[in-house]
Amino acid sequence: MANLGDCMIEAVVLNGARNGDTKVDEVSETLSSILKNSGQVTVFQLRKMEIADCLGCFGCWIKTPGECVINDAERDIAKKLAYADLKVFLTPIVFGGYSYELKKVLDRQICNILPFFTKIEGEVHHEARYEHNGSLVGIGVLPKPDAESETIFKTLVARNAINMHPPAYSTEIIYNDDDEAKVIEKIKEALVGVGLKNE
Amino acid sequence: MNETNRALLLVGSPRGSKSTSKALGTYLLDKLRSGGFETADLHIQTSMRSEESQARLLELVGAGDLLVLAFPLYIDSLPATVIEALELLAKQRKSIAPSKTQRLAVIVNNGFPEATQNSTALAICKRFAVETGIEWAGGLGLGGGGPIEGKPLEDAGFVARNVRKSLDMAARDLLEGKAVSEEATKLMAKPLIPKWLYLIAANYGWKKQAKACGTQDKLYDQKSST
Repeated sequence: MANLGDCMIEAVVLNGARNGDTKVDEVSETLSSILKNSGQVTVFQLRKMEIADCLGCFGCWIKTPGECVINDAERDIAKKLAYADLKVFLTPIVFGGYSYELKKVLDRQICNILPFFTKIEGEVHHEARYEHNGSLVGIGVLPKPDAESETIFKTLVARNAINMHPPAYSTEIIYNDDDEAKVIEKIKEALVGVGLKNE
Repeated sequence: MNETNRALLLVGSPRGSKSTSKALGTYLLDKLRSGGFETADLHIQTSMRSEESQARLLELVGAGDLLVLAFPLYIDSLPATVIEALELLAKQRKSIAPSKTQRLAVIVNNGFPEATQNSTALAICKRFAVETGIEWAGGLGLGGGGPIEGKPLEDAGFVARNVRKSLDMAARDLLEGKAVSEEATKLMAKPLIPKWLYLIAANYGWKKQAKACGTQDKLYDQKSST
């Protein structure tokens, strides 16, 4: 397992907090501080970015392969994600899934995979576009424990992990009343889950 | 006649009227209308563009007895704008309690041959219903919807026979005030064509479309790392 202090990784954090999701922003700050020990970290605070919704046109596969046809801030995010060693999806858990703010960016990441199909464990998925794919960490924030929402969230991250081809993935749930020490502990657990320890 | 008499179709595909989501939802809505329901439909992406159209969406949803949400699977979940609309509806329902019992039925379609890949999206929709006090009337998931190509289901031929049958059953269930039956769900989940044929056709289809755009040699392009 790589020690975060001993290796230089490039991490991208997609912060899907909505206005008023202060806990998510706090987690983002803590996460960023931890990751800064290990290299470069870019945090995108998505609610402050003008990013159009996916048109469902498949232009990023056919017309301008590898790049979305819409020229906005998402292009920079997609490029960073394509070459990142670690991708973190940070979101308030909304109906068990991601917030709109996070999802508006994820919908436009199909440019980073190929249109062609392959089978993974007997199920059909799209092929990877890049040889190197960063590990994936999904962190969901809930007001309080909620078994059903947590199960849906963990399943969603696991499904994304099949489709996005990370070498490893992990999920973590943080509650509004977790104090900072608990948040740090949970973030470290999530990083250990993708083979990164922080000592 | 059942007390539920107003059905609202919410189409959640960015492709709007050309989408398979619209075709699936419209077929069901037509059956509901034939069964005596009043019907209306809205395109979510268009409705979310302005405060005025959002207000219209909230108003129509508030007036509906049965909400039918139809959308394509995006990244194992709902398209972002559909989530945005559900967030808006949930926020409104927190401040203004709904005056009547409402039901939600969902139709998801995806481009993979396996209908099971819709499960997480359906779970999210069900969770939305639970959190907003809407009665869950069931979900239908279609895999490998490509051959429908957004055509009205009546014109989609033999390949869509199970889809039509499933929606016929679902309409009967919903008209009787029941949730969509397991039989209808299973029928919708049946592959339209064999998996091996779907894969060959889909992979060939991408190459053909690329050729038409003159990008056949660029399909594997990568962004520069600098």
